[in-house]
Amino acid sequence: MSATATITREEALARLVGIAGVEHTQLDSSAICVSPASADQIAEILRFANEHGLSVVPTGSGSKLRWGNPVAPEIFLSPRRIRAVREHAWQDLTCTVEAGCTWAAMQADLARHGQMVALDPLWPQRATVGGVVATNDSGALRLRYGGLRDLIIGMTIVLADSTIAKTGGKVVKNVAGYDLHKLMTGSFGTLGVIASVNFRLHPVEQHARSWSFAAPDATRFAQPLRDLLHAQLALSAAQIRAGRDGCALDVRICTRPECLDNHAARLHAIFDSLPQTDASESVWQAREQLFASGDAVVTKASMLPTDLCATIAELMQSAAREGIGVSLVAHATGLTTIALSGSGDLAATLHVIEQLRARLRPSGGSMLVLQVPGVLRGQLDAWGCTSDALPLMREIKRRFDPNGVLNPGRFVGGI
Amino acid sequence: MLPRDQIEELRAAVGADGLITEECQLQTYECDGLTNFRVLPGAVVLPRSTAEVQAVVRFCARHKIPFVSRGAGTGLSGGALPAEGGVVISLARMNRILDVDIANRYVVVEPGVINAHVTQRVAPEGYFYAPDPSSQSVCTIGGNVAENSGGAHCLKYGFTVTHTLALEVVLPSGEIAHLGSPTLDAPGYDLAGVFVGSEGTLGVATKITLRIVRRPEVVQTLLAAFGTPSAAGQTVSDIIAAGMLPSALEIMDALAIEAAEAAVHAHYPMCGGLLLVELDGPGDEVDALMREVRAIAERIGAAEIREAQSEAERALIWKGRKAAFAAMGRISPNYIVQDGVIPRTALPRVLSEIERMSSAVHLRVANVFHAGDGNLHPLVLYDRSIPGQEETALDLSYRILNLCVDCGGSITGEHGVGKEKQQALGYMFAEPDLETMQLVRCAFDPESLSNPDKVFPRPRLCADKPGPYTPHALEKSGVAEIF
Repeated sequence: MSATATITREEALARLVGIAGVEHTQLDSSAICVSPASADQIAEILRFANEHGLSVVPTGSGSKLRWGNPVAPEIFLSPRRIRAVREHAWQDLTCTVEAGCTWAAMQADLARHGQMVALDPLWPQRATVGGVVATNDSGALRLRYGGLRDLIIGMTIVLADSTIAKTGGKVVKNVAGYDLHKLMTGSFGTLGVIASVNFRLHPVEQHARSWSFAAPDATRFAQPLRDLLHAQLALSAAQIRAGRDGCALDVRICTRPECLDNHAARLHAIFDSLPQTDASESVWQAREQLFASGDAVVTKASMLPTDLCATIAELMQSAAREGIGVSLVAHATGLTTIALSGSGDLAATLHVIEQLRARLRPSGGSMLVLQVPGVLRGQLDAWGCTSDALPLMREIKRRFDPNGVLNPGRFVGGI
Repeated sequence: MLPRDQIEELRAAVGADGLITEECQLQTYECDGLTNFRVLPGAVVLPRSTAEVQAVVRFCARHKIPFVSRGAGTGLSGGALPAEGGVVISLARMNRILDVDIANRYVVVEPGVINAHVTQRVAPEGYFYAPDPSSQSVCTIGGNVAENSGGAHCLKYGFTVTHTLALEVVLPSGEIAHLGSPTLDAPGYDLAGVFVGSEGTLGVATKITLRIVRRPEVVQTLLAAFGTPSAAGQTVSDIIAAGMLPSALEIMDALAIEAAEAAVHAHYPMCGGLLLVELDGPGDEVDALMREVRAIAERIGAAEIREAQSEAERALIWKGRKAAFAAMGRISPNYIVQDGVIPRTALPRVLSEIERMSSAVHLRVANVFHAGDGNLHPLVLYDRSIPGQEETALDLSYRILNLCVDCGGSITGEHGVGKEKQQALGYMFAEPDLETMQLVRCAFDPESLSNPDKVFPRPRLCADKPGPYTPHALEKSGVAEIF
């Protein structure tokens, strides 16, 4: 137990068993894992942890547990028993889903009425709604539908002091009170535990087709990508994949079936000089492969769309000089997932990361480290945040979680 | 009035031509679009830069004097109502567009830039700024950020928050902080997302980075006349159920049509429920969808369907819709504008309940709504010269809001809570919800100096006069117009 804890692990275990039941409370080598059955039980667990200075990491499937700075908590709080699609008001295009529901299970439920939450996060079969929201993950569909900030209309959260609070509502248009759900989205579980989320929904994309265009070097895509985004096409997603074998630009068009051919022709006019193929829909999950090797450092970089192609080309060159392999998937929004691998030289890897951060910073860009091999854990600041809003963020954290029990140290600036 | 030494401090901060202290001039700022709440401020300042705003806010922090920032004053919930004896910070002179980056689709503006001017600036490049409140020809981006303004087209394009990438803000302490970034997912809490819509209670935005949107290839607008608003509402539901996302879906009832016709002669068909559908996007797609919309409207029994044949016709249709509030003056001496939201499916139930509630108290209610997202604007018509009628009208308007909440909706979709609906917020949210919001307020503004006593409920004081519309002197004289 940590120095701040005022109770032994055995006593803590007994209390948590009392709240969630013996079959839902386990002790492993480093922490107690507890799965409450309701928001009320989450509140009871947090009240107990808060009173006794026990650190808590809310975790769904654990798929993104390594994102951000490392935390070794006393309690893992899993919402896997709280996983219902509680309400699907399909005629209103809204739903309420509990945090432990996997993304894929939610989408399957919504698809019965031809609807979806228009977001394609990593590992939908495993990732839970709460985890996707807490880490603000998003995929290629963000170009068309926006991110979670645009799709979440309300939330129920549990604070460290056991307060259960609702924010927003079940209607899309709503400006009553502060949007606490925007504060919670991407806060990495440092302010409270998400119990359920209300989403606005979109119709499932039915008539979509994808194409890929190849080039030896990402700079070849700069002008066509710019033209593509300026063209008035029914664009659903666009991304660049780059790696050892060259670069590909994937485009997805979604429109009415009778319009698809016309849009395809216009698309081909933009890319006329590049070799092209119909792409398999699986290219849109390419991001997942970047995490496949546990030895790779994986980061999420954010940059201006016009910086994408040149930055990718420079990164490939500088990494090659350092003997580091690079694979990446860059969405047209500027969000780029980068895997750096194949180098035993950790200093070189850190150097590449710092170089890229320095390049992105002047135009407002940033880079978050998502995955690092064990030897690098704790050796680099996962966030690299230099914002002058950090004191304000710390004050918000202090107000929400005065004892610092929720995910301590995981977030920006040591929050 | 502030003491002389404090006035001198303010003069040093903004210069003599940036300070107003004469009572007759202060009166211009005593209210916003919710004209029956009036408070005379202690002083008004008109800063020209972030540094001047910062100097004023530091002054307020030092002396613990409340301040209220203000754009064009078109807000309809009293959000820019001065604090008694406090300072009003008018951002009207900070009206420069600082940067335009078409390739990355953003612009950086000062808060006093008028909403429509953003679109005017980027239109030649084929882009537009999407949020379009009815007051867009005069309202400012700073005010839009405070209120998270919407408009008729937010069904497809989203609200001000959807289009706000980054903010430079002067915090209530006088410190400057940069929230968000022109790139997505800046590290840290999404404070830009929280700041937008906080109604001026978290500080003063001094620079705003806005997302701009590619202009659609084609825009088509259709009017369909139905016997009742509910039939028009059913058409809306069927359009949505067919998987379409029009850029606008608006409904007006017979009273609203009558008023709009009297005001701007939009040549609307006279009917019980008029539906306006606007589709935009690639030309071939819009053509196909418009055929589908027509078929749905015909199936529901539209008596007349009309498509705008030119940009001028389209503009006239929208002029009538956007003038609908102001037009109420043509058919009623006084009126109250409300702004509730309901789940779309509750529309028939809510409309018949409003009808029942209004006839029970012998008042007329005109209905104008952004039907696609369930945002109702019931306009309660009354005559103040009849004793007791104003109170009845007010009571009715608040009961309509409660009805919206009871149906799973909200007390405001775009006008904000402001001064007007503080109590209603307490009907919508429970105490733990409001206390959690206060944690944010206290982190930004522990002294409650920034637009104090707004948004959150409090014991009502006997001097309060909520609700109805009273013409401002400028409006009576024809200088200004309420949207």
